[in-house]
Amino acid sequence: MGNATLRLGRADDVPEGGAHGYDPSGDGQDIVFALRRHGVLHLWRDRCPHAGTPMAWRRHAYLNAAGDRIVCAAHGAQFEPDTGLCVSGPCLGERLQPVAFAIDGGEIVTATTNITKETSS
Amino acid sequence: MNIVGLDALVFGVDDLGAAAQYLRDYGLVDAGGGRFEALDGTAVVIAPENDASLPKPPTPGCRLRKTLMGVADAAAVEAIAAELGKDREVRHLPDGSIESVDEDGFVIGFQVTVRRPLERVGEVSNAPGSPIQRAVNSNGVDAHAPQIRPRGLSHVVYFVADAVKAEAFYVGRLGFRCTDRFVGVGPFLQPSGTLDHHTHFFIGAPAFMTGVEHFTFHFAGPTEVMQNGSRFVVKGYQAFWGPGRHELGSNWFWYFNSPFGCHMEMDADMDLHDKHWQPRALPLEADNSQVFLLRHRAKWMPGPGTPHDGDYA
Repeated sequence: MGNATLRLGRADDVPEGGAHGYDPSGDGQDIVFALRRHGVLHLWRDRCPHAGTPMAWRRHAYLNAAGDRIVCAAHGAQFEPDTGLCVSGPCLGERLQPVAFAIDGGEIVTATTNITKETSS
Repeated sequence: MNIVGLDALVFGVDDLGAAAQYLRDYGLVDAGGGRFEALDGTAVVIAPENDASLPKPPTPGCRLRKTLMGVADAAAVEAIAAELGKDREVRHLPDGSIESVDEDGFVIGFQVTVRRPLERVGEVSNAPGSPIQRAVNSNGVDAHAPQIRPRGLSHVVYFVADAVKAEAFYVGRLGFRCTDRFVGVGPFLQPSGTLDHHTHFFIGAPAFMTGVEHFTFHFAGPTEVMQNGSRFVVKGYQAFWGPGRHELGSNWFWYFNSPFGCHMEMDADMDLHDKHWQPRALPLEADNSQVFLLRHRAKWMPGPGTPHDGDYA
């Protein structure tokens, strides 16, 4: 079980300056999301350090209009997209949890345990 | 003071088109000019966050710019202006409303209410023995129902730096009444012109968080909340809490993340109370926050190939 991998989706689905959420259990609630900034792909848990709850207000809607901040739609916390550092809001100074991944055959692949464990790394 | 409830909430947003789509999908009617109305004419109003005509938010991170309350008549507007004018600026606006601020810097307005009387039966269930039933041959649910419409603006919940001070202002200066409270957190408040369990709820929080936790409109009943909420999920909106039913107020709830920097709820079947009601005081814990809590699932049916554990497999 510990070595099971999960193919989240095609890396090409994540546009430059945009984000894409993933819902491996298919219940309508994304639990991890990718974003691409300055050509670099980042993968974060969809879990605000403030209340431990999901952040997007609509599927894939994690960023502000300018695309330079991740915004938690629950209570307005804002994070740097490439470091996950909270720069405004109730969890100021805390960080989003990064998710380790690899690109295999154009797909984003991660270990199942990376996105099922509840504790922060 | 005879405040009958919320007339409108005004937000400054960074993506007007996305926020407008969200409100249309929620069920509000686009009345033009950034105004999105419920069936009774109460509304959410949105404008670009850099619109210079918007009042200032209480804190930089708060997207709510103004809470507009409806009152019974012009005399009530003037009574509030006289009361608030004792210790703070009250502005008379060209539309006949007044504008001021509360203890936490939330801009508040008062006008003769825009609420239109609604004469529509709410959700009625066919309970054996009940004298009130649905009309014979009328179906309880319509899978293909057109867009479900919220009936009216229900309540707003503020994070406030000092819930005791906030309560004293709304009760002492504006004639609200506490109907219930979460000990050490804050009160549910009802203005004098409605029987709704609450139009305001305050949550004590660090001062930099002063802002909105959520706001919501009333729907016709639990079926509308479930059906509208399920459609909302299918459209990609992200649920935060629910569906479920609260203990204090008894309202059905389903909270969603929103582009307004707070949650937007769908609610139904809130308790009505008058002056004979004795407020309850409960500690804030999961057990007291809801009577039960459910979760959206993808549609499913039992049949050939059903796992041993059914839907819970």
